[in-house]
Amino acid sequence: MSHPAHYREAHPLIFVCTHWINLISMVALAFSGFYIHYPFFANFMGVARGMHFFFMYVILINLFVRIVAAFFVKSATRLGTHEVETDIKNWLPQKLNRHQLGAWLKYYLFLKKDHPIGAKYGVLQKIAYIVTIPLTLAAAYTGFAIYAPFMDAAFFAAGTDWVGGQMNMRIIHYYIMWVFILFTAIHAYLANVEGVAPSRLIFAWKEEEGLRFDADGKVIGGSGH
Amino acid sequence: MAHEDHGAIYDLLAARGVSRRDFLKYCGSIAALLGLSESFVPQIAAAVNHGAKLKPAVWLNGGACTGCTESIAQVDTPDVATIVLDLLSIDFMETLSMAMGEDALAAAEAVFEEPGYILIYEGSVMQGFDGNALRIGGKTGLEELDHAAPNAAAIVAVGSCAVDGGFVMANPNPADATGVKPYLEGKGITTPVVNLPTCPVNPEWLVAIVVDVLLLGSLESGAILDKLDDWGRPKYIFGQTIHDNCPRRGHFENGNFVNEFGTEEEALGYCLYKVGCKGPQTYTNCPIVRWNRRTSWCVESGAPCIGCGSLDWVDVGAPFLNRHRDLPLPGVGNTQPGVVAGVVAGVAALGLGLHAVGMKASGRMDGGAPYEEMKAHDRKRMQKGGGK
Repeated sequence: MSHPAHYREAHPLIFVCTHWINLISMVALAFSGFYIHYPFFANFMGVARGMHFFFMYVILINLFVRIVAAFFVKSATRLGTHEVETDIKNWLPQKLNRHQLGAWLKYYLFLKKDHPIGAKYGVLQKIAYIVTIPLTLAAAYTGFAIYAPFMDAAFFAAGTDWVGGQMNMRIIHYYIMWVFILFTAIHAYLANVEGVAPSRLIFAWKEEEGLRFDADGKVIGGSGH
Repeated sequence: MAHEDHGAIYDLLAARGVSRRDFLKYCGSIAALLGLSESFVPQIAAAVNHGAKLKPAVWLNGGACTGCTESIAQVDTPDVATIVLDLLSIDFMETLSMAMGEDALAAAEAVFEEPGYILIYEGSVMQGFDGNALRIGGKTGLEELDHAAPNAAAIVAVGSCAVDGGFVMANPNPADATGVKPYLEGKGITTPVVNLPTCPVNPEWLVAIVVDVLLLGSLESGAILDKLDDWGRPKYIFGQTIHDNCPRRGHFENGNFVNEFGTEEEALGYCLYKVGCKGPQTYTNCPIVRWNRRTSWCVESGAPCIGCGSLDWVDVGAPFLNRHRDLPLPGVGNTQPGVVAGVVAGVAALGLGLHAVGMKASGRMDGGAPYEEMKAHDRKRMQKGGGK
């Protein structure tokens, strides 16, 4: 009905790659993490730990690359346009999103009928994505704090003492993964519930026509299906 | 050569049926425990040999089960450890002193008057009930510790209770139990405390401390303090995890686990990780030193480590056969973290499902609702500003 056009400028190829790497790493980390927490089948502990200790570096390097790329790569700051700006603009406050938090909440709660105007990432969406950065770092910190080669280093041991020992640190690490699982579930749901164009773009880099917008968020053409 | 000396110690050893060879072997194991090279064996032997007159010591019992006394007093077959510990002139010990009542207390008092003794403290410091949870000779346990601690050259806190309150301080901790070190720090008493956790304490560790502190002079030189970690535990005993040195570690790496007791996996001696072993987070050298005269230790004998060498070990370790501790949720009680996560995830899944029904019903699934012409905020402002 009113689906925005999804052009490649919204997600340049490098971000398609970092998104894939994030997905693969998180699946591998969650699976191996669950296994390490409680080995639910036999003969896999060595592999599970190897997976965990490999992908934890992959995801950290990927996060670093993603953040650095935000300052050098240009991408669209709204849907339905081929115009691009430096990607970091997507992560700072944007004019299109101003005063729209309430509108988004109402829209999601079915208290508002029409779709709120917004930038490429709506208010809540952007907050959720940004929160994954400290969350990843928290997972890394709590993970290193219970990982034998690092756990005795003062930087991690101090945190372990502060939370009351390694058992508590492990539980925090465990819960951070659950937060990621919840995030991923909600993220996948909201990204696709109004149509799978976002997934086609971020995974297969396939475009889909739809509504086009001007810099003020006004519909300037295209058809929403 | 020092170890050629034939002093009183060898007569003692002979009287107890311990050969000189056994003695030197034992000194070698102490050297290993202290992180010293083999070349220190003669020095240790000489120190033990010549150390017949040592600092007096007083053993006080706080709030605990006296299991540490039992552990130290395992004298059914006298061995070198017993003899080394005999060198510690323990002038007062409630459970094992021959003297009783006023006589015993007078002996302790005599020691307290001469600064420089070693105070061995077993059990927690129970601060609740104005200290009246423990009374000795008409005084509270707190008064006794306050009196004994300042003049001591060093305090050896034996067992987890003396370190941080141990099982006595487990929730709900009605006696407000704590350890010697935190208690004295709160009182501003600065006597050095060497913490030897685990429940009970391993006598080998006390032997190591006796040799290190008393015989090798590391107390006078201050060297002992450098050997302690932030929690006052000797690093050479509490520096590595049980998991690091576990004889079942190979089974862990291979993924061979005991799923429940009484199974073939248990008979095969597989890793006890799934049945709650706390070895990966417990810093003691139990797998190396072992217990009961190096016969065996918990994991070797088939029981998962319950983490008794950790701080707050009951609350962070129970239930002992689970991978996670329980979380004391207000109004719910003790709950496993996985159950909490499952409930939250279930509610979230239900929420998303209901939301999807709403999306379908409101016709938004096919591209979402039509876009608003203008932000609600801007529209309001325009209306206020007269349609501008």
